[in-house]
Amino acid sequence: MMEDNILKKNPKKTHLYKFHVQKGRMDVFADFEMPMWYKGIIPEHLAVRSHVGIFDVTHMGRMVVSGPEAETFLNYITSNNVSALTPLSAHYSTMCNEQGGIKDDFVLSRLEEERFFMVYNASNRKKNYGWIVSHSHSFDVETIDVSGNVAMFAVQGPETEQTLQKISSKDLSKIGRFKCGWTELAGIKTFISRTGYTGEDGFEIFVWDTPSTRPKKAVKVWNEILESGKEFGIEPCGLGARDTLRLETGMCLYGNDIDEDITPLEARLGFVVKLQKREFIGRNALAKQKVEGIKRKRVGIYMLEKGVPRSNYEVWKNKRKIGIVTSGTLSPVLKRGIAMAYVPTEYATEGEEVTVKIRDRFAKGKIAKFPFYDPLKYGYRRKQ
Amino acid sequence: MQINDYEIPEGLYYSKEHEWIQIKGDHVIVGITDYAQKSLHEIVYVELPSVGSELEQMEIMGTVESVKAVSEIFTPISGKVVETNEKLVENPELLSKHPYTDGWIAKVQHTNLKKELENLMNMQEYAKYIRKVEE
Repeated sequence: MMEDNILKKNPKKTHLYKFHVQKGRMDVFADFEMPMWYKGIIPEHLAVRSHVGIFDVTHMGRMVVSGPEAETFLNYITSNNVSALTPLSAHYSTMCNEQGGIKDDFVLSRLEEERFFMVYNASNRKKNYGWIVSHSHSFDVETIDVSGNVAMFAVQGPETEQTLQKISSKDLSKIGRFKCGWTELAGIKTFISRTGYTGEDGFEIFVWDTPSTRPKKAVKVWNEILESGKEFGIEPCGLGARDTLRLETGMCLYGNDIDEDITPLEARLGFVVKLQKREFIGRNALAKQKVEGIKRKRVGIYMLEKGVPRSNYEVWKNKRKIGIVTSGTLSPVLKRGIAMAYVPTEYATEGEEVTVKIRDRFAKGKIAKFPFYDPLKYGYRRKQ
Repeated sequence: MQINDYEIPEGLYYSKEHEWIQIKGDHVIVGITDYAQKSLHEIVYVELPSVGSELEQMEIMGTVESVKAVSEIFTPISGKVVETNEKLVENPELLSKHPYTDGWIAKVQHTNLKKELENLMNMQEYAKYIRKVEE
């Protein structure tokens, strides 16, 4: 995930730069100098799974799309059904190219009837802006990139609500999963949505009208959340834990697990492809693929033997190569190697044994379902 | 001595790939330095060389993995691996806790020590090297 080092000489900084530099190990990711970890990936990961953690994710791309034809326009460029979104609710979605390949995946929130908010991958900021604007001309919409003007934090883990409630003006129990709203946090107006990239309950927090040159409001919200979460064992978390958490829960990372040559159907994101919509970019290709059936599929691999699978390692079966690992790590919860890979559909059955070529040896694994952990013990559906 | 938070003991010889050796008669003990383990951070897995294998100086003798990355271990001197630290298989954290003692990796019977030492650094030289790497 640290491949984008082009701007290493002059990376951008977020509002919390001073905090990060003082406490964390920094690296450049998608043009931003970001914390990879503070205490360490494993303790931060476990803090989110058992208590609460806070991430600065201001590097992500954010856009407001508004106007009388905002809904129609977004239905045209995205694969999910935007008409089903009521004000102050959100959904996960993809944008595809004409061939059905994924341009990006993102969360779309409906702020008002004619006003939407899109949060997408940091690495795709420029590409998305160009793509969206170029398709917007024949619609009565306005598109504004607000990335540089909004700070964004993710607070994740089972004790998120309790942490935030202490400093929130609004009753947070009223905001359900994939719902959003405006609240004051530590006296500062913020937009929050009950979404995230960890598999846990949690909120993503947007401090509006706050460029990094005037970081005061963002810094205050961050510090007050840390203070409020102290009694629950809150940890500031870096991008390292963000990556292991999303992988353990089975969520895709753009550029690794999905890209313009992979369709949402192959990536098992079919739940955000609404073919009943009359028209959207990529629809024809996806409809055709749905009828013909997919040839390869994203799967989870759980290692039965020691070793850590990594991206680009080969997946083998019956003495031949059948696929490639797209991301892999050691699962801090399961203490085993876990991975995502694409394999031919005939091998994509849960429990099927495969081997992963780790350098010069073959290590046994099996096709596993997502999330990798027991959803009754971890994640937002856990039994309390 | 201590350089930028990294411990560098006296009496050992160091490679540019951040391994160390301690000379003990006809064999040497090989490990990775405090700098190496701190750069890797949170070591979760170690692959040891096989006992009996004969390696050339700076040939790969094993790997160390952290959550995020894989790093190769190179043998700082040529020779035959006579013993490995099996404890590391179950307790890879020994490498982080005690890189110069309990976290040793292998014992190697050297074949060309005197000549090959010229390619390694002493404490002072390695400290200088670390300062440069850290800049």
